[in-house]
Amino acid sequence: MISAPDVVAFTKEDEYEEEPYNEPALPEEYSVPLFPYASQGANPWSKLSGAKFSRDFILISEFSEQVGPQPLLTIPNDTKVFGTFDLNYFSLRIMSVDYQASFVGHPPGSAYPKLNFVEDSKVVLGDSKEGAFAYVHHLTLYDLEARGFVRPFCMAYISADQHKIMQQFQELSAEFSKASECLKMGNRKAFAGELEKKLKDLDYTRTVLHTETEIQKKANDKGFYSSQAIEKANELANVEKSIIEHQDLLRQIRSYPRQKTKIPDLQPGDTEHTQDQADQVSTTSNPEESANADLYTCRPAYTPKLIKAKSTKCFDKKLKTLEELCDTEYFTQTLAQLSHIEHMFRGDLCYLLTSQIDRVLRKQQPITNFLFEDFVEVDDRMEKQENVPSQPSQDRLPPKPVEECPIPKVLISVGSYKSSVESVLIKMEQELGDEEYTGVEATEARSFDPQENLDYLDMDMKGSISSGESIEVLGTEKSASVLSKSDSQASLTVPLSPHVVRSKAVSHRTISEDSIEVLSTCPSEALIPDDFKASYPSAINEEEAYADNEGAIHFQASAGSPEPDETQEGNLENIPSQIDSSCCIGKESEGHLVPLPTPAYTLSDEDSVVSIPPQRYIQKDQGLHVDFGVENTDPSPRDNSCEMFPAYELDPSCLLASRDVSKMSLDNYSDTTSYMGSAASTSSDRIPSAPPAGLSSERHKKRAGQNALKFIRQYPFAHPAIYSLLSGRTLVVLGEDETIVRKLVTALSIFVPNYGCYAKPVKHWISSPLHIMDFQKWKLIGLQRVASPANVGTLHTLSRYSRYTSILDLDSKTLRCPLYRGTLVPRLADHRTQIKRGSTYYLHVQSMLTQLCSKAFLYTFCHHLHLPAHSEETQEAVASRQTSFLKLNLGLVNEDIRVVQYLAELLKLHYMQESPGTTHPLLRFDYVPSFLYKI
Amino acid sequence: MSTICPPPSPAVAKTEIALSGESPLLAATFAYWDNILGPRVRHIWAPKTDQVLLSDGEITFLANHTLNGEILRNAESGAIDVKFFVLSEKGVIIVSLIFDGNWNGDRSTYGLSIILPQTELSFYLPLHRVCVDRLTHIIRKGRIWMHKERQENVQKIVLEGTERMEDQGQSIIPMLTGEVIPVMELLASMKSHSVPEDIDIADTVLNDDDIGDSCHEGFLLNAISSHLQTCGCSVVVGSSAEKVNKIVRTLCLFLTPAERKCSRLCEAESSFKYESGLFVQGLLKDATGSFVLPFRQVMYAPYPTTHIDVDVNTVKQMPPCHEHIYNQRRYMRSELTAFWRATSEEDMAQDTIIYTDESFTPDLNIFQDVLHRDTLVKAFLDQVFHLKPGLSLRSTFLAQFLLILHRKALTLIKYIEDDTQKGKKPFKSLRNLKIDLDLTAEGDLNIIMALAEKIKPGLHSFIFGRPFYTSVQERDVLMTF
Repeated sequence: MISAPDVVAFTKEDEYEEEPYNEPALPEEYSVPLFPYASQGANPWSKLSGAKFSRDFILISEFSEQVGPQPLLTIPNDTKVFGTFDLNYFSLRIMSVDYQASFVGHPPGSAYPKLNFVEDSKVVLGDSKEGAFAYVHHLTLYDLEARGFVRPFCMAYISADQHKIMQQFQELSAEFSKASECLKMGNRKAFAGELEKKLKDLDYTRTVLHTETEIQKKANDKGFYSSQAIEKANELANVEKSIIEHQDLLRQIRSYPRQKTKIPDLQPGDTEHTQDQADQVSTTSNPEESANADLYTCRPAYTPKLIKAKSTKCFDKKLKTLEELCDTEYFTQTLAQLSHIEHMFRGDLCYLLTSQIDRVLRKQQPITNFLFEDFVEVDDRMEKQENVPSQPSQDRLPPKPVEECPIPKVLISVGSYKSSVESVLIKMEQELGDEEYTGVEATEARSFDPQENLDYLDMDMKGSISSGESIEVLGTEKSASVLSKSDSQASLTVPLSPHVVRSKAVSHRTISEDSIEVLSTCPSEALIPDDFKASYPSAINEEEAYADNEGAIHFQASAGSPEPDETQEGNLENIPSQIDSSCCIGKESEGHLVPLPTPAYTLSDEDSVVSIPPQRYIQKDQGLHVDFGVENTDPSPRDNSCEMFPAYELDPSCLLASRDVSKMSLDNYSDTTSYMGSAASTSSDRIPSAPPAGLSSERHKKRAGQNALKFIRQYPFAHPAIYSLLSGRTLVVLGEDETIVRKLVTALSIFVPNYGCYAKPVKHWISSPLHIMDFQKWKLIGLQRVASPANVGTLHTLSRYSRYTSILDLDSKTLRCPLYRGTLVPRLADHRTQIKRGSTYYLHVQSMLTQLCSKAFLYTFCHHLHLPAHSEETQEAVASRQTSFLKLNLGLVNEDIRVVQYLAELLKLHYMQESPGTTHPLLRFDYVPSFLYKI
Repeated sequence: MSTICPPPSPAVAKTEIALSGESPLLAATFAYWDNILGPRVRHIWAPKTDQVLLSDGEITFLANHTLNGEILRNAESGAIDVKFFVLSEKGVIIVSLIFDGNWNGDRSTYGLSIILPQTELSFYLPLHRVCVDRLTHIIRKGRIWMHKERQENVQKIVLEGTERMEDQGQSIIPMLTGEVIPVMELLASMKSHSVPEDIDIADTVLNDDDIGDSCHEGFLLNAISSHLQTCGCSVVVGSSAEKVNKIVRTLCLFLTPAERKCSRLCEAESSFKYESGLFVQGLLKDATGSFVLPFRQVMYAPYPTTHIDVDVNTVKQMPPCHEHIYNQRRYMRSELTAFWRATSEEDMAQDTIIYTDESFTPDLNIFQDVLHRDTLVKAFLDQVFHLKPGLSLRSTFLAQFLLILHRKALTLIKYIEDDTQKGKKPFKSLRNLKIDLDLTAEGDLNIIMALAEKIKPGLHSFIFGRPFYTSVQERDVLMTF
């Protein structure tokens, strides 16, 4: 197996002895370190600490024709980030690469200066001594006053981790290309504008000179030209030549190859307009005509001035700033994009890599993602991040993609400007509808934070200051730009701020309208199946017994208005029966859809001590059958009920539920009965809690993980509580202090399986009376305990419904819920765990839940498990086979089986939905004995 | 590619290499910084083709390009820096290794570069590390060679009073040629036989109706488990290309798309050479039913390797990462030391160099049986065949399995990071880690550690401390804490 030349020589025994030193030792510079990580502290994290900067940053540098390579600005603009790192030296290093292979300028044999549209170059290089490595994106911008009309710039992503740059090369390249295209697009526009102005000036100068020459001609009666006249004539000829040169340049910049416009997802308006412009150029045979046509239409406000005729090759000593070269709005967008890049690639490579792998793998399993993944949110967020530059301001608002970022209205007046190159801005604004426009404006306004612009100013200033000997020159330039920026900021903020408010109002109204739509088409009451409706008022009756108690959970349709009850009674037929009778007296239905046959499952120790005595209705539950057929749902009462309830009382999920009410099902095997139903709630503030802002953010995860860790360490009964959540039994967290309850609910929410992709079935805090339907919608509820004598009643009420719920009382430190004797939850939530941080615990939970999902997936889609092996096989045999599979193949014991079965039910329901995310909540009744746990 | 280029440096030597198959490499160059003339090209290697894609002038221009700015070079002593160019204007990508060396009595800067068309960017990037590692090592040896050459020449000048400066440094070229050609061959073979990014599960063992249909259950379990324990790095050998490739594809299912692109299928008729640094490679046995693995190259692979023989259903694995890296570094140092001490050109020939070093005897028994059993792969294989083949169910289940592994690896990294305050404190509680993260089975820990090593290099060495202990011994020690 091992080749001979390599192995034959090895005969010595002293395997780990160092080599003898009787011969000259190998100099260390020619050797390799024995321990690759020993030189920098011998750990995998320390290699990043060799650099003089604290974290990755972006540097924009220019090869100035006046002062040479110089840093312009850094992102983030914080001196702490790059610390003592020598930006000047590094700029020199990265700009000294002669990337520009093509000729730019006045080629020999060519009559006029020629513009070359140079493609960007990308270089990865480093300074191993400084521990700095960089992805450098070189680009060239056009400047009429620069040598050869070009100004070389580069944008560098600087990191201490070389592997990070190489491993993320394609992503970095793609993101920086967007930033570069944005700069270049702005630059072409600005360059064309500059040319137009110059042409106007030249034209005006020509007219003046021509007039003067004519006057001199007329005044000349001597028959020969004076030297002054000759001088004027030469000057005129120079101006003529200059005009031709500039017109040629204008033609060239306008004929920028369309295929080179590489900004992906360019807005249609943009493309069209660019196309229009290009077509206009191509159809205009005479460039002079076209130039003239634009010249006098584009910038009516511009007043031409007399200029001294000189060659275009001459350059002014005052070079334009990057912002001036690219137009403020493009410059701002580029900075936003760069800021987004900095944010996107920030941090340790291992987290970047795993998040990328994670995303790819999650996309391959759309069936199970809804259970525990923040899939939609995360992906949306990531995709947005990919396209969207983050706003550099501290109050970061939802970012918009560079290519979608419209230009603030105040910066470009629709009527006042018509670009000759890429007039995307005007087109966009014209095509936007009123509503869109308002929304767009709001985003624009958000993205143009004055503070943010000031930050950029700072960056600019600092960049110039750090460039050593060029301080004076650049300082002067910057001071000019400061003024212009300040002006633009003033114009930005004041008029735009009202738009923000207005747009927010509009978006709010839109949501309300949606709610109204729901109300009109999907009355919540109509969604309650007839058989279930029978049970509905019984809850009210039950509640009535405790109505006096303020702390009681009120099971009524609408807490605030008792009148609808009467109306309901008028409209709905089967209301008056009690909830228990409704649960117990149902039509036996064989035809209803059972999502997944639940195997016979009986708690082995039924006779164990039950802290809470069984409720008086339990006996009636035995052998319960309820028909949840939707056929009887009468559309007319639906309409009526629609009128009865205000929009805010309706649950958006009812819309989803209404589509497939027939899937409501009931499982009743043995003494462990599960009921799954679908209905809508009618009480106020019952809308499933939308995920809190930045639900999947790192901070949220960290906090949730930390609080969950505290919970499992503090409460010995954490396991049954988590089991309740994992098995679909609603857990009510009862407490006086809202903060504590909310915190715990947030912590426990990481264990709650989702129904669909829209929201977690978690209600963080509720103070109004609970309705039975709340248990259907929410699997984790934070309930306020009212401090009053009626408190006793609250507990009593909760105990009545303990068959539906588990109750965690934070004040008395008790938990009432079914027994848990599995092995799964202890691995998930071990109170002796040495995990120190919340974020780590969150990761641990995430991986364990993924394992659980995998088991549920296998159980759900195992083809031979759910179908009878032969026609004579009984349901019991199938169930037995399933149990055996769960125990033997999936290694599940006791209550763990119920967890996997519940997840499998959800999976199957979700899979059967026509469109993903429309799974409606299930109402489960688990008639298993509850235990009271105390600390 | 642009044709406007300055004239090439005079008298640039060129080696044309005949390759079987399509070569994605346009050229390789060796350039140096002349203190008077600036960057100059010393040697060009180019594949022998009918169609000239890049003229010598263009190659010279690009090679000079790579040294631009290197007058400002600020590197640690002995550093070999990597520069990577994507020059859209020229339509090429260039990978340059820049280093300092002594030549002509002066310390100068050199650049060994390979040039590929820009269209091969996505093909090349997954192979970047392989190419760079191999060229880096040959440069290490080349620098020693140049240094010795200088010493010898100085002695000759003193003794003979003659100048032979023109010849100096020339002899590094054959040495570089010895590695440039294999790199070209590697890229050519990868162009034709690399594993596709997306593997159809139908082409793998996981499509069988039941476990054991294609290969023995225990063998498959061992193969996948060991493959994951050795960071996804495996060599599959056998007499049947079809059988070998099926296992190669199966193992590649457990890799990331980029790693798959750095894996190679077996050639049907004749066998490829073993290539150090690939993740999975299929190799065909010769007519005698044997395949010889070059010890040196196996040692130089960045990760330990699993050796899988599909003919006799054996699975052997190298020691874990920290031991492998330690052994590798010792081997490298020995090789370079032997090179340094060599007195004649014959002594310095690559294959004989190790004979001269009597002080170092590496453990030849590098492939051992798979000792540590795992529960993760076992459970996966027990379960996956319950799902109906031919649908996407198994692919989804596999994705879930990989997601679990990656999440566990990330959790493990984070756990150690927290426990040691990012390496500031030593890690003491392996037992706690195993219990807390449900990795009590030794094989499970190995798999997750191997995965973590790939995304956080150096983790093994950090946790298991002195690497020449076997991992078992080390863990026993750690368990006592």
